[in-house]
Amino acid sequence: MAKWIRWWGLGAFVVVATILGCVWVLLIDGWVKGLIEEAGTEAVGAKVELDGADLSLFPAGLKLARLQVTDPKRPMTNAVEIANVTMGVDGLNLLRRKIIVEEMVLAGVRLGTPRALSGATRESSVQEKESEMFSIDLPSLEVPDVKNILEQEDLETIRLIETLKADLKLEKDTWKSRLEELPGKAKLAEYKKRVKNLKKVKKGGLKGILGGVGEVQALKQDIEQELESLNGAKKEFEDKVALLQTRLDQVKTAPKRDIQHLKAKYNLSPQGLANMSQTLLGGQIGSWVRQGAEWYERAKPFLEWAPALGGSEAGPEMQKPLRGKGVDVHFKEANPLPDFLIRKTKVSVNLDIGDLAGTIHNITSDQPTFGQPTTFVFFGEQLKGVKSVALKGALNHVIATDPKDQMTLQAKGYELKNFMLSQDAQWPVALTSGLGDMNIHAELKGEALSANGGAQLSALHLSAGKEGDINPLTTALSSAVTGISQLSLEANAKGTLQQQDVTLSSDLDRILQKAAGKMVNELAAKFGAQLQSAISAKIAEPMQQLKKNFSGLEGMGGDLTERVTQHNGILKSLLEQNLPIKGLKNLPGGLKLPF
Amino acid sequence: MIKLLAKLLRVLNSETDPGQISLGLCFAMIAGLTPLLSLHNLFVLLLVFILRVNFAAFLMGLGLFTGMAYLLDPLFHQIGLAMLTASSLESVWTSLYQSVWWRLEHFNNSMVMGSLVFSLGLFLPLLLLSNLLIRRYRQHILAWVQKSKIMQMFKASKLFETYQSLSAWRSD
Repeated sequence: MAKWIRWWGLGAFVVVATILGCVWVLLIDGWVKGLIEEAGTEAVGAKVELDGADLSLFPAGLKLARLQVTDPKRPMTNAVEIANVTMGVDGLNLLRRKIIVEEMVLAGVRLGTPRALSGATRESSVQEKESEMFSIDLPSLEVPDVKNILEQEDLETIRLIETLKADLKLEKDTWKSRLEELPGKAKLAEYKKRVKNLKKVKKGGLKGILGGVGEVQALKQDIEQELESLNGAKKEFEDKVALLQTRLDQVKTAPKRDIQHLKAKYNLSPQGLANMSQTLLGGQIGSWVRQGAEWYERAKPFLEWAPALGGSEAGPEMQKPLRGKGVDVHFKEANPLPDFLIRKTKVSVNLDIGDLAGTIHNITSDQPTFGQPTTFVFFGEQLKGVKSVALKGALNHVIATDPKDQMTLQAKGYELKNFMLSQDAQWPVALTSGLGDMNIHAELKGEALSANGGAQLSALHLSAGKEGDINPLTTALSSAVTGISQLSLEANAKGTLQQQDVTLSSDLDRILQKAAGKMVNELAAKFGAQLQSAISAKIAEPMQQLKKNFSGLEGMGGDLTERVTQHNGILKSLLEQNLPIKGLKNLPGGLKLPF
Repeated sequence: MIKLLAKLLRVLNSETDPGQISLGLCFAMIAGLTPLLSLHNLFVLLLVFILRVNFAAFLMGLGLFTGMAYLLDPLFHQIGLAMLTASSLESVWTSLYQSVWWRLEHFNNSMVMGSLVFSLGLFLPLLLLSNLLIRRYRQHILAWVQKSKIMQMFKASKLFETYQSLSAWRSD
């Protein structure tokens, strides 16, 4: 036995194991730091940096110092900077490769802090464009020169007349040749002659009668065939004429549409004033909705259940294989827990306006296994520029196929200052000061986003227009706007995270409509009348030609009808006159012929 | 490379028990073919230390089998996956899955399971085969090798110098 055992080897093993353990302890902090930076950078799309990480084993825990998360759209700014992160980790579950944190404390959270060096990665090097200044399409107060407009504009009326004229000519040519092919006077004369000959046969006794029967039958069939082709052509012709008539009716109503289009194009429609709140505030609110949606998209991968992370009743489950890494097969656990869970996170956010305190419960990547949604509550009072603010919500992905996330934000006594509503050169509008109470609720069910919010703005001081403005419309609008002291505003956003449709309504619309609507309506009526008369004059001659062409076509229709009538007449005379056909019907013995 | 070859010759030509060399190679096979940072390899290391296993053979084998493992990865994955997804074994794996130590062993990974089953399966055959080959080598080839012209040339070379310098270091 002693030949095979070397007891000093046990001591050597202990020494080697201790050295390896020491190396691990020395290197693990750096490894954890690198791991967090790498995973964070990949997730955010911009640099995530840590000043230091300290992993302790007894008790198991982790402390992070100065975590900086770069805003991917502004690489010189941190979206979030956290002074200290402290968490206690469940050591036993760590051995099971599960990170279960009972409580995490995020102290000194600040938003939008400047960075010394750019945090852009290669993928995120595109800088955010400055938000575009929007301008307002105010109704114009000058009646444009109608003559010039008609010279430059492509009128629908003229377009329709031209195409109809060309089509009418084509139809006329087509039917002219069709009429030549169809049976006409020559054919009629031939039939009359054949009828006349048959009358002679009638007088030829029984033999003559029997010989004439075949001829009568042939004549009858010929006339019926010609009638069939004439009736078919007539039907086709009538359909064509009906279609052309419909187009002619469209031509008659086209000037009205042209006038409406031109009035809108040259801003002589009062519609521009109907939703001014959408124009003034829609862009800004839409931008906020898009920013919120972008941040949610970044957080989404962490909320959605990775189906391969846990075994189920259906049997073992697998992750995708990686070369040289194999696949992990997971089995049902007696007490299933997600691979990553932070039960409670206390957050203290230091904003310029003051401190916000919040708690987040159940941060996990595997809500279906844990069975509870992630919830959050943030609250702040007596802040700089706002009396109170409360944010609460839930990210519910417990049923992976039916996720439902919701959030409610309430702010009271929010001080509005120097807020540009319009930077339009013609009519700038600014909110100098005011107070707002707002309530916003957003919900994302699957892919469907719906958000609605209401705001009561009071103690408003608005400035509008430019000094020395002589435009009566903007002067009237400015006067109306500066007189506003309170407003109620409602906003709705519907769509998806990628594409939202924001609608806004407020008292502003009614106020502006009242102030300037009448003025714009009068001008629009004047412009409309001028356009009506100018267009009527412009289309008078083409319309005359069109009607002339149409009457020509109607003449062809008359010709076709006459031919049908004449063929019918000759067929009738063939059947009614005492031709052999009648004699055959009275054959002795009740013998009947098959016609 | 020269040193490695010299080491191999020294081990084979020494009077070390063939069983110790073979055992070293077999332990190296387990440690080399399976992922190095696995819990079972700590146990293998412990055995290498406390059993009179030839260290040089273990270290050489470790290098050799680690290289081979890269080529055999797809095979290990197939074996491991077949074992872990076999319905007859599901209850066994499920009960092991509840244990912290088995989870730490990462037995539920197809590569760990496949390579471990493969190397354990070959452990005994390799032990017997290498034992036999070393004995045969020493009986029939060693004397011939010593007298051969190549060996004479080798003895005069730098390689032999290395061999001589290493021969001072005896294996246990």
